[in-house]
Amino acid sequence: MALENPFQDPLRFERRIPECAVAIFGANGDLTKRKLLPALYRLAYERRLSPGFAVVGISRTPMSDDQFRANMRESVAKFLEDSPFDEDVWNTFAQGLYYMAGDIGDAQAFTNLAEHLKKIEECRHTAGNVLFYLSTQPSQYAAAAKGIGAAGMATGNGWRRIVIEKPFGHDLESARELSEKLHEVFRESDIYRIDHYLGKETVQNILAFRFGNGIFEPLWNRRYVNSVQITAAESIGVEGRGGYYQEAGALRDMIQNHLLQIMATIAMEPSATFQPDAVRDERAKLLRTIRVMKPDEVLANSVAGQYGPARIGGADVVGFRQEKGVDPNSQTDTYAAATFFVDNWRWAGVPFFIRSGKRLPKRVTEIAIQFNAAPHAVFGDNGDEDTPNLLILRIQPEEGISLRFLSKRPGAGMKLRPVSMDFNYGSSFGERSPTAYETLLLDAMIGDATLYTRQDMVEASWGAVEPILNVWHNQKFDFPNYEAGTWGPKASDEMLARHGHEWRTP
Amino acid sequence: MSTTIQPERVLKELAELWVTLGKESDPSHSSGVLRACAMTLITLVEESEDPSDVWSTMAALMPEHPSRAIVIRFKQSAARELSSRVFSQCWMPFGHRRQICCEQIEISASDASLPELAPVVLPLAVADLPVVLWCRSARLFRLPEFPQLAKIANKLLLDSSAFADPAGILARIQSGQKVVSDLAWTRLTRVRELISQIFESRSYLSRVPEVALVKLTFGGVIPPVSAFYLAAWILDCLEAAGAHPYLEWERAAGVPAGRISRLELAGESDSGLHVTLTISGDPARQMAELQIDSLVTNTVFPTDNDYALLREELSIPGRDAVYERTLARAARLAGQGK
Repeated sequence: MALENPFQDPLRFERRIPECAVAIFGANGDLTKRKLLPALYRLAYERRLSPGFAVVGISRTPMSDDQFRANMRESVAKFLEDSPFDEDVWNTFAQGLYYMAGDIGDAQAFTNLAEHLKKIEECRHTAGNVLFYLSTQPSQYAAAAKGIGAAGMATGNGWRRIVIEKPFGHDLESARELSEKLHEVFRESDIYRIDHYLGKETVQNILAFRFGNGIFEPLWNRRYVNSVQITAAESIGVEGRGGYYQEAGALRDMIQNHLLQIMATIAMEPSATFQPDAVRDERAKLLRTIRVMKPDEVLANSVAGQYGPARIGGADVVGFRQEKGVDPNSQTDTYAAATFFVDNWRWAGVPFFIRSGKRLPKRVTEIAIQFNAAPHAVFGDNGDEDTPNLLILRIQPEEGISLRFLSKRPGAGMKLRPVSMDFNYGSSFGERSPTAYETLLLDAMIGDATLYTRQDMVEASWGAVEPILNVWHNQKFDFPNYEAGTWGPKASDEMLARHGHEWRTP
Repeated sequence: MSTTIQPERVLKELAELWVTLGKESDPSHSSGVLRACAMTLITLVEESEDPSDVWSTMAALMPEHPSRAIVIRFKQSAARELSSRVFSQCWMPFGHRRQICCEQIEISASDASLPELAPVVLPLAVADLPVVLWCRSARLFRLPEFPQLAKIANKLLLDSSAFADPAGILARIQSGQKVVSDLAWTRLTRVRELISQIFESRSYLSRVPEVALVKLTFGGVIPPVSAFYLAAWILDCLEAAGAHPYLEWERAAGVPAGRISRLELAGESDSGLHVTLTISGDPARQMAELQIDSLVTNTVFPTDNDYALLREELSIPGRDAVYERTLARAARLAGQGK
């Protein structure tokens, strides 16, 4: 028997998903409707799924298979991004959709699911491969994993993997506790901690850009890089999630996971291969080298902010404390900024400025790498000559890369001006970029964990963030300290000014 | 009608074009225009073809495969005729202030001028970037002077389905030294991908040695080139997995000539693996019904137009080992039927 599929043609064929079933806990929730099912349908549309692919939705609401299919049809048609809805594709895809009512707290629900999956394995030829997706409250992760294990579903004829969404704990201790509970049932290699930022095309393109080209890597160090700014700004507020957000805050919700992962991707050493663990080892190593702030360094190197009310575009915008479900005296950070340093040879002394906030002027996520200015001003004082070279990696909304450099202004005299060389991901490759969930679901089903977070990475990033949280926890901030629609508190500008820098305006 | 083209003049016109584009760009912004180029794409077409079809394909390809596009329109004439014009295609990516532009050159030539074309086109190719020659006409491909022009290209694209004699064209492609891409092969990618997906399953893969019969059903009197390609590829793959199948051809009534309508893989006994793939619809919307034992699924294939086919081929700059291996066997299969 051949071990490899002789029909494969990697030069032309896209990566395909082996036969499997996906069991989604929380199948009636928003994430399933808005992201997971549209992503799975799109994979079907792209012909990436195996012929017998199946989905079992599990939630408390009683519903028949047909009702579930009808609900999901409506959601997929509504939430598909940049993609047509094809009735024929849907009909085939929907044949593999099943539903089962059950509560995570009820052991019988897991026994029923085990039976359900067995039947599906027989009729859809899924070979016993199952991906469990916990689209539930994080507080239910441990119980769900335990239920899966108790019903004997963590092992079977094929592979068994589990996907969980952030937050992976609310501090280092709870992250370790969660991990221990999951490890009682699943091996670390079968746990896929999703970070949808890592699934974005441009984040993946950072690896291609850095390690696929010979010209940038020699510059990628303290000798040439002056500083790095990572911005993840949202123009919206908490959008009805005030209750959840109040417990999380920007530092936990964005910086601890997404932005530190991006920072690790920017700053990591090249891995010897593109094997999942080789890449993740390098990311983890970088996260472990982030200098941990001492308590007396925290306030000088981090800024917490909270938006207050404002009038934007002729409409009144409420402050965070006036949002539904939010404590009127809330001390939650809707804005967080921090200066990190990486203690290794490559990056010693280079500041990494990271900020994230809600109700900022626009939705943008980008990384700006500022290079050192030319060592000597050959062209005299012409106003623009000290403009540093900037490499901007845009994650969203316009995925792409820009390089800013100086060029001579046409005409007499040697006047320089900054010009930008742009690469736009969407317009350059014309084709539609897959959504982060398409990429990540595909990877999980294929068994490629490159873009997933490993427990040691989770712990390392908590290690960098927790000292800040501890100091903030004992502070009484004078919130709100920035108006909705502005680029955050003044203290954030002052933090950069202390390092001789200023925030870019994305 | 002019009878000569001076490459230097064409290049000068291109340079002037960039100056003009720079001046026309929004003076309030310093961003200007961006020249994008990843290859030189030369397209040979008959004068009778509507040039707007070719240029619209080029236009669609440019954002993904920015190139200096040279379209040479041939007229069947014994008189020597050569003339050219240059222009550009620009687009503004959504949300951006800067235009991206590609250069386009249209050359009109007569058959009699074919021997003189290579020295004209060679200096027009962009330095250090690959040259791809897309021959859209079977007649031009057969002209004795064609190989001389083809020499300047790193890669030759053609569509063998336009040739009446599958055995002849397959043998000719195979005997050439050039890296060739055949759009008749490209059209099979979706079908091949679907078949390959079946055997991503370990259980189906383990049953491949059971396959004793490969049956291909086609429209027309003789199997089209694509059927030889598909048969060759499947036989190669099955044999690599330990099967020794027999190939059977079947003519389908009511199916247009040149189309494959059905593929069947079957074991010797009823309990063996049984796969059927039935293709229906037209090129604008092709449907495939795949049956593996009792499991049936339906798939919609994306539209097969020149743009989609070229997009795939231009993404493969070098040799394609799977295609070359398949071509060799397809040529043998087609030759056996002669």
